[in-house]
Amino acid sequence: MRKFTKVELGKYNGKNGIPIFVACQGKVYDVSRSFLWKKGKHQVLHKAGLDLTEDLKVAPHGAEMLEKFPVVGILEH
Amino acid sequence: MAKVTREMVERSGINVDQLVELLVKNAAAELTTYYYYTILRFNLIGLEGEGIKEIAETARIEDRNHFEAIVPRIYELDGKLPRNMNDFHDVSACPPAYLPDDPTDVREILKVLVEAERCAVRGYTQICNMTAGKDHRTYDLAQAILNEEIEHESWFSEFLGEGPSGHFLRRGETSPFVSKFLK
Repeated sequence: MRKFTKVELGKYNGKNGIPIFVACQGKVYDVSRSFLWKKGKHQVLHKAGLDLTEDLKVAPHGAEMLEKFPVVGILEH
Repeated sequence: MAKVTREMVERSGINVDQLVELLVKNAAAELTTYYYYTILRFNLIGLEGEGIKEIAETARIEDRNHFEAIVPRIYELDGKLPRNMNDFHDVSACPPAYLPDDPTDVREILKVLVEAERCAVRGYTQICNMTAGKDHRTYDLAQAILNEEIEHESWFSEFLGEGPSGHFLRRGETSPFVSKFLK
């Protein structure tokens, strides 16, 4: 499994056709095919290329919504 | 634009541009859902489908009402709808509620309907959380819509066998919570 630093993860922000990755609880997910992550933004407030673990604690859904997307790596701390 | 209205919301600490963007996305979700539910409703036929057609129709009409109720708030807050309908579709806060590959599979149609309602429940919960105690008018509107989306979810969930909805179907008028914004 590929390991990502936060800097590497930040490159996958959906801009210029780059894939859209987000992290949660140590896993990195590829959400590029999600309708709700178009252009690397989700519901106005959330940006791709970031660790969203804290954001999800106050979101109207849990981490289970990410589980339908492929895991492409692990986020190193 | 209602200048002081926007100013009051800004002073409450809300990022008004973000709020307006969210309102536009949810307005798009309502109008596109109205469109997709039209197709779903037409395909709810036969012994199984006819029993669900009535609530699909109620949800469809109420989603259109939600669109009509949200749009004035967008303009009050100095926002606007996209000029291009394609752009409007693509910014929707919820994915398209497409007719399933097998349009005769009523259970699959029900899954599409319930997922659309669940997306809406999440969206209006987010707006309520963002505006509670700060932007009273948007909160009141989002809460009214949320009440109806919760009922839609529970109706479709009941038909999927997930448990009793705890609600009766509408008797007469649609949008019992949102109608005050439509007058």
